[in-house]
Amino acid sequence: MIDFLQRVVDGVSLGAIYALIALGYTMVYGVLQLINFAHGDVFMLGAMMGWYASSVWTGQSRNPGIPSALAVTLFAMVVCGVVGLLIERLAYRPLRSSPRLNSLITAIGVSFLLEYGGQLVFGPNPRAFGILPHRPASAIAGISIGYVDLVTIVTSLALMFLLQRIVFHTRMGTAMRAVSFNPSVAALMGVNIDLVISFTFVLGSVLAAVAGVLYASKYPSVHPLMGLMPGLKAFVAAVLGGIGNVPGAMLGGLLLGLAEQLVSGYTSSSWRDAVAFGILILILLVKPSGLLGRGAAEKV
Amino acid sequence: MSLLGGSALQRTGKAVRSWLPFFVAVPFLVLIEKEIAQNPALRLEYAFQNINHIGIAIILAVSLNLVNGLTGQFSIGHAGFMAVGGYVSAVLLMHGPPEDPYRIFFIISMLAGATAAAAAGWIVGKPSLRLRGDYLAIVTLGFGEIIRVIIENTPFFGGAIGLSPIPHRADFAWIWAMVIITILVAKRLRDSTHGRAFLSVREDEVAAEAMGIDTTGYKVRAFVISAFFAGVAGALSGAFEGNLAPQSFTFVRSFEVVAMVVLGGMGSITGSTIAAAVLTILPEYLRALANLRMVIYSVALIALMLLRPRGLLGTREVWDYWRKRRAVKRERKRELTEALIDVRKASIRFGGLTAVSDFSLQVRPRELVALIGPNGAGKTTVFNLLTGVYSPSEGEIQVLGRDTRGLSPHAIAHLGCARTFQNIRLFRELSAFDNVRIACHHLTHESMAAAVRHGALAAQEEKWVAERSDELLGIMGLSSRRDELAKNLPYGEQRRLEIARALATGPQVLLLDEPAAGTNTKEKGELMALIRSIRDRFGVAIVLIEHDMKLVMGVSERILVLDHGVTIAQGLPREIQSNPKVIEAYLGEKYAKEHAAQIAAAGGPR
Repeated sequence: MIDFLQRVVDGVSLGAIYALIALGYTMVYGVLQLINFAHGDVFMLGAMMGWYASSVWTGQSRNPGIPSALAVTLFAMVVCGVVGLLIERLAYRPLRSSPRLNSLITAIGVSFLLEYGGQLVFGPNPRAFGILPHRPASAIAGISIGYVDLVTIVTSLALMFLLQRIVFHTRMGTAMRAVSFNPSVAALMGVNIDLVISFTFVLGSVLAAVAGVLYASKYPSVHPLMGLMPGLKAFVAAVLGGIGNVPGAMLGGLLLGLAEQLVSGYTSSSWRDAVAFGILILILLVKPSGLLGRGAAEKV
Repeated sequence: MSLLGGSALQRTGKAVRSWLPFFVAVPFLVLIEKEIAQNPALRLEYAFQNINHIGIAIILAVSLNLVNGLTGQFSIGHAGFMAVGGYVSAVLLMHGPPEDPYRIFFIISMLAGATAAAAAGWIVGKPSLRLRGDYLAIVTLGFGEIIRVIIENTPFFGGAIGLSPIPHRADFAWIWAMVIITILVAKRLRDSTHGRAFLSVREDEVAAEAMGIDTTGYKVRAFVISAFFAGVAGALSGAFEGNLAPQSFTFVRSFEVVAMVVLGGMGSITGSTIAAAVLTILPEYLRALANLRMVIYSVALIALMLLRPRGLLGTREVWDYWRKRRAVKRERKRELTEALIDVRKASIRFGGLTAVSDFSLQVRPRELVALIGPNGAGKTTVFNLLTGVYSPSEGEIQVLGRDTRGLSPHAIAHLGCARTFQNIRLFRELSAFDNVRIACHHLTHESMAAAVRHGALAAQEEKWVAERSDELLGIMGLSSRRDELAKNLPYGEQRRLEIARALATGPQVLLLDEPAAGTNTKEKGELMALIRSIRDRFGVAIVLIEHDMKLVMGVSERILVLDHGVTIAQGLPREIQSNPKVIEAYLGEKYAKEHAAQIAAAGGPR
């Protein structure tokens, strides 16, 4: 039982990170019907920027204090936000009216550009990472909760709550939802679509940056290709919850993290990557619109 | 088939002739092979080694083009299928006989590898291809990674170190013979009715279904064939290099192949071939920039999408410039006497909204029925119910005596019920001729294998399809627009092309959704005559949605009026014109009351 609960805690912590990334996928899909392939690499960029900032500012990347940890995270968020904005402006916006396949190819191009551009700049080798101050794990009723896990869960929950407020209780959030229902009608109603889409990209990228820093603290090494797998899994999480659906992405992320930790805990860790794709194939077969999504037939 | 005619000998002769390019090329390949073997200097020549890599790249690019170019789906896991084919055949070769002078065992192992890859393609494609292309991208990317991880963790497959030594069975002649086969198969598929089905999926899935094309089926087929050839490439690669390592099947490999396809032109076989050659040689000469290679690829890909989204060659081929026109004739008919369409009390609800309720309609052969009603009355919804785009919440729909509940749109099109779309849904990037040819798809019998063999039946059918299409274009007055892209036709002609396309499916019932929308008075007059002549010439029943009362009253024998999803009247045109309920629905209650006397005197609203 303790064993099980321990895995649940690990799963929730991992799932929270997936959820943060998945939110970026799902929001962009919501407004643009585009799978932003490069999102996993924005996540990578967040981690790399965290590593860069912490190694430059704190001299040594191990064990800084809480204020510098916050500053490092903020730096990563700003850089990713700007990069997200640029990606949208330069690569996706010119293609908005062309066939979806073209945007998809471009997205893959951007993804590879970030990965191999990153390799060019930072080199392909993994770097040690650790910006959160080291604290001993706290134990509750025999379940040990690592400090990083605790911070991850608390931060993610706070961010998701904030996002929920933004999407459902602000003017910008209302505009985002309007654009996702029908962009041309939203534009006729005076919504500035370009602004909304840019905002969505920035929002998603900022969340991915936080996820990147948290992920790198949990698995303390960073390299330019690290975004691929978490990015793919977060996408699976978004599909699982129903792509385009904000609460769905959160639910999907948590479920996926749990499933992954439970399966790899009880069988073998080499199956952890297979879990995500098993779930993806299953959900595509059974309920392609996802758990919380609603199916929509194309209008003829 | 009697069409094939003649004895087994003749048939073999035809089969041989249809593969002529292959049989002509093989002796040359073997000669070159001999030359290389005798001349060691040549073998060491750097560029020459590359030729084999180019061959493998061409197989990969041309096969991926079937999915990414022709069918418009997006697979980015080609290296995964290559790995499956490579490892399966390599394991067989390593455990097979040590000597294989006639390469029979090599062929068997290569086929086994390719079949395994095709099977993997089916497993991956079946669930994800039901949905739109972007899911396939993610699933194939994941698949490619998983395969690599599995191989790396399986000692049987050599783990991370890889398999070696694999008996050296494939060399120049083998690789290039397979290149020729791949190109021939791809080209023949593309130029057959199946190739047009692939294209129609890329252009507009909804319209393709309405023309009787099983879109999911075709996507899966394209994907499986493509995986098969990726497996062939993997098998060749293993037997050529003498070793296989999981590192050579990363997504970088897949991405290179995608770059070749996109660069060469989506759907262009020659384009893929050239791009494969260039992208294989180029890095060898740019060794200094090795680190930059992937960066350059990705920037090139983005730039290409922004500037020339269909790739350098587009869908065109180098050999695509001379095409002959063919003569016109031939007819095909089948008659039924009972009701062609029999709808009984059908209703459909979207959430809380009942779009159509208790709708009943019988259409008898050669009847001209009009469906009218104010905007939002549910007329197009009725068409969507009839063609299986929606299925009714309640009630029963029979088309040509078959209950259509649970049938997909393409199956209903096969029954003999064709439609046009209110918002024109032509295959925009294809010529008028091809638009019509695609619709002949379900009338053809040639199998994919036959199309690839290029047999007599296939050729005859191709001819028949071309003639039929030309004839239909002629009837609709579009002969001069035959080779024009559909998107470049004027609006009225696009509408007529839609009718030609619908007729090409060989329907017994033709559903026309606002054929006169956006046409002027003169064209409307012509359209009226045209609709009648279509009915007389093809013996089809026509159901017409139309707002133009002159056209409706002039052409239809029976009218059905919908308002808010409810059938408020039906009968002869004259009766409908003076029906107070109809006038009320169109002009409002107040107007009807105020002008009651006037309307009664005039005998209708017009």
